[in-house]
Amino acid sequence: MAGRRALKAVLIDLSGTLHIEDTAVPGAQDALNRLRQASVDVKFVTNTTKESKRSLVERLQRLHFHVQEKEIFTSLSAARSLVERKQLRPLLLLEDSALEDFTGIDTSEPNAVVIGLSPDHFNYQTLNQAFRMVLEGAPLIAIHKARYYKRADGLALGPGPFVAGLEFAADCRATVVGKPEKCFFTQALSDLGCSPTEAVMIGDDARDDVGGAQNAGMLGILVRTGKYREGDEDKINPPPHLTCDSFPEAVAHILKNLL
Amino acid sequence: MADTDWPGCGKSLKGVILDMCGVLYDSGEGGGVAITGSIEAVQKLKASDLQLRFCTNETQLNREAFVDKLKRLGFDISVSEVFSPAPAAVAVLKERGFRPHLLVYDGLLPEFDSVDKTNPNCVVIGDAAEKFTYQNLNEAFRVLIGLEKPVLFSLGGGRYYKEGDGLALDVGAYMKALEYACDLKAEVVGKPSPTFFQSVLNDMGLQPHEALMIGDDLVNDVGGAQNCGMKGLQVRTGKYRSSDERHSTVTADGTVDDLAQAVDMILKQRH
Repeated sequence: MAGRRALKAVLIDLSGTLHIEDTAVPGAQDALNRLRQASVDVKFVTNTTKESKRSLVERLQRLHFHVQEKEIFTSLSAARSLVERKQLRPLLLLEDSALEDFTGIDTSEPNAVVIGLSPDHFNYQTLNQAFRMVLEGAPLIAIHKARYYKRADGLALGPGPFVAGLEFAADCRATVVGKPEKCFFTQALSDLGCSPTEAVMIGDDARDDVGGAQNAGMLGILVRTGKYREGDEDKINPPPHLTCDSFPEAVAHILKNLL
Repeated sequence: MADTDWPGCGKSLKGVILDMCGVLYDSGEGGGVAITGSIEAVQKLKASDLQLRFCTNETQLNREAFVDKLKRLGFDISVSEVFSPAPAAVAVLKERGFRPHLLVYDGLLPEFDSVDKTNPNCVVIGDAAEKFTYQNLNEAFRVLIGLEKPVLFSLGGGRYYKEGDGLALDVGAYMKALEYACDLKAEVVGKPSPTFFQSVLNDMGLQPHEALMIGDDLVNDVGGAQNCGMKGLQVRTGKYRSSDERHSTVTADGTVDDLAQAVDMILKQRH
């Protein structure tokens, strides 16, 4: 392909691509092992506001995937990375399980607000505190802006509505750090020493995984597992570099054509 | 120091509409505190030949309780002079056959006593303050998302107001949250809806150009009034912030330090 350099890294989505809940995608473990034998770096990327890297790794290892914590990059990691780069002291509106990923960050006298899905923090008092800070100029960092999600007892508000409310009240725009933001992908690659044109993303979400990655300059491979629905490949422009049945086929394509 | 001069307004002016929170008093512990000079300013207006009404987006209390609170602070004011969103909303609900799921402060519930609240087909939100918990918002969200045609009424749409020594989120922020979650647009009852201002003008029997609105909220008080053809004055009390004087879309017809100063200037112009 004119202009493209050899592949150096593969970013892999987790839920819907390597596994569906507590079941691995058939053949995925072997495919991952084969990928690792080639001379490419591998990173696992996901949007989450509640699960720490450690709990993600534990689930993957239970499903017989060989992964290490340092290979995982989440929207929480992206937020942490931004906070560190800008030397901010954040007010963390996050569930306890997510706080683990912010160990070591100074949160005294906060001058920024980091907001994920945290029902315990979405009370009048805490939101007022966050609002006052943002109104006075504190950066508002959103882990992501999902409108709602499916819970066991029905639909439930995601962090998006609360971010939208604060943006309106304080007349500001939040910096959203999760997929499909470009900075999420560039950050995921930054410690691998490779540029987006040397990387490919594999995922089941046409817009957030493939669209986001391609927008950042990467190639995108859409897999027909997880949340994929017939015709998703037509919903993004440019279309995915490849649409295939599942992760093992994506790996086979990479090993045969992209290295 | 007032920097205002609104030519022509002085002699053609027949009525004044006052916002309440941030103009007459500031919200806070123990019900709030009267803003210096506002009690006398209201008295001077009542003694003049100008008509006077009060127009508020206050939705934590029903009108009777709210007016009682202001009387206790020293204001000469009666329920018939006060226009607030809840009664306007009740009229709209009944007119259009809506049965509301209410997310409002407890003190406002009596305003909705005569409304059928069974099997809700819409949501009404007001300034619910501490009742804006994740759980309550989620409940309202679920009602909306479960309707084939979701309808959300918001009693006002303000961003924030002055509370104690700081600013607090107003109903508008929560309205936006539900709008975003359900991908819908709320109907605002109260300022800055033109229907709301018109109902006050109708009660006074005045044309828009014969009335002046005085408020602390540049967009909802001043902008809303201007949108109806009235003039609008902003006071530098309440939620006022200096950046208001550099707003990208709304320019007040005048900006004064407080209600006392506004009233002195208005009455001076009538001689």
